[in-house]
Amino acid sequence: MRTTPEQFRSLKAKARHRKLLGDAVAYVLLGIAVLIALFPIFWTISTSIKQRVDTFVIPPKFFSFDPTLKNYAAIFNTAGFGRIYLNTIVITAASTLLCVAVSTLAAYALARSPKFSSRGTLEVSLIMIRAVPAIVLMVPLFQIISTLGLYDNHLTLIVMYAAVNIPFATWLMSSFVEQIPIALEQSAAVDGASRAKTLWYVVLPLMLPGIAATTIFIALLTWNEFLIPVLLAGNSAKTLPVFIAGFISARNLDWGPMAAASSLAIVPIAVLTVIAQKRLVSGLSSGAIKG
Amino acid sequence: MTRPANIIRKGSNELAMQRLAGLMVTPAWLLIFLVFALPIFGAIYLSFRNEMLGSFTVPRFIGFENYENAFADPRFWESIWVTLVIMGLGLIIQLPLGIGLALLMERPLRGIKAIRTVLIVPMLLTPVAVGLIWRFMFDTDLGVINWFLGHAFTSTPNWLGGRWPAIFAVTIVDSWQSIPFVMLISLAALAGLPKGPREAAAIDGANALQIFVHVTLPSLVPVLLVILMIRIIDAFKLFDIIFIVTQRGGPGTATQTLGMLTYNTGFTFFQTSRAAALGILLVILVSPIYVLWRRAQRSGI
Repeated sequence: MRTTPEQFRSLKAKARHRKLLGDAVAYVLLGIAVLIALFPIFWTISTSIKQRVDTFVIPPKFFSFDPTLKNYAAIFNTAGFGRIYLNTIVITAASTLLCVAVSTLAAYALARSPKFSSRGTLEVSLIMIRAVPAIVLMVPLFQIISTLGLYDNHLTLIVMYAAVNIPFATWLMSSFVEQIPIALEQSAAVDGASRAKTLWYVVLPLMLPGIAATTIFIALLTWNEFLIPVLLAGNSAKTLPVFIAGFISARNLDWGPMAAASSLAIVPIAVLTVIAQKRLVSGLSSGAIKG
Repeated sequence: MTRPANIIRKGSNELAMQRLAGLMVTPAWLLIFLVFALPIFGAIYLSFRNEMLGSFTVPRFIGFENYENAFADPRFWESIWVTLVIMGLGLIIQLPLGIGLALLMERPLRGIKAIRTVLIVPMLLTPVAVGLIWRFMFDTDLGVINWFLGHAFTSTPNWLGGRWPAIFAVTIVDSWQSIPFVMLISLAALAGLPKGPREAAAIDGANALQIFVHVTLPSLVPVLLVILMIRIIDAFKLFDIIFIVTQRGGPGTATQTLGMLTYNTGFTFFQTSRAAALGILLVILVSPIYVLWRRAQRSGI
């Protein structure tokens, strides 16, 4: 039996209708997802610029309220807030630099040398560190660090953050290194370049996109880190997440300033995620697909 | 005659590379030793003693007493139950929704890139801040969630006042942050699949569901296993959100996971050695995962 032109046309129309219907359903479902993804962020920002009287009302005020910057003023006037924000930035920057440098070296070795002496142990350790919850390490570390007098010390936090992020950073970086054709290094060697020169002038420039993606990831994870500083930082090395968590212990929850502090933590991340999304997506994807 | 010389040169080259590799991983080893090996051995050591912060008795070795105490403590078993329930609920919610979103986003829709960008934003936000805002939204009487639910239901849950609502609250917040991750990885996996088999199935008259179940899903299995492993590991590590949303595992011990119990034992009740033993038990509980991971890596997934 052959399809007549009329039947063919009606089949085509049916397929087109089905596609339109499918697209419409997809748009509706994705629209709901977008709303759910954005609402808590919107609610944080909106709560942060509301007067106290507009914060706790039913029905909630979504747009019709008098905005105020009072909550931000309260946060910036909190004793030590400037230092806390600066701490977070400095510790994040230093720790990210350390972590990415160490992990890039390790990732290159893992990707390019199939059997160096400590390879097997290193692989096992990297997986174990990723799998072991940090709280397990914090019980003995708290004792060790207080005994050594390293409590509430910026350097302690920098080294600790860098170490806990090494497995993830190495995992990301090695998928980037594997994408660099080894032939380039071989031909540089044939042309008489020393190994150091090859690494610096050939390998490093090719690794830069990977290093950029890894840096952004590690910086965000470090910025967000909570368990380590809540246990190991006192007043002088306190970071933003610890400051924000402090609001919860207050008996009378003060949602306005709390939302202002939260906005100061999450808005920079949201902006960075949007700007760098291409790198973040490609980094995570190639890492996970490889395993 | 040139052949052996070549082999020797290649051999020495490889040896040099191995030496260089060994040198390159030294800084990583140093940090791993300081922050991982040392504390793990420290935890094992502590777990066989009776150290408490601020205690006047001289600490000594007490053998397996901390472990025996843990096994005899109903809160220990409760915490394992809570950990597994939150993990299970999380997987049931996050995997289907993440994969479902990825399938929707595979359609060549206008503006899909912008939608993807927006959908991944929750993934990397500070968990402590995220936890706080959700806690605010979960407020029983004045929270925006119950206000919203009040339009459809006559009674709304007291989210943070009972065991199951609190477990669901934690799972919802965790899912809000984790679904984007599942979605992204699934999307990358889908993009890597050849279109041929799916198109062939469509021409043979298979509907969308049949194509998904019989063609797409089987080829996604390796990536799904990786996602599953990562999500299980993350479930054992889930800490910040519980710390904030239910205030360290409340109400009572309703959302106290094993990790939270370890924290509370060590840093709320200052029973250092008991906490160390709980931590070691947590490591033992997680250990099957890294065996799985190794196997996945070896098989080249």
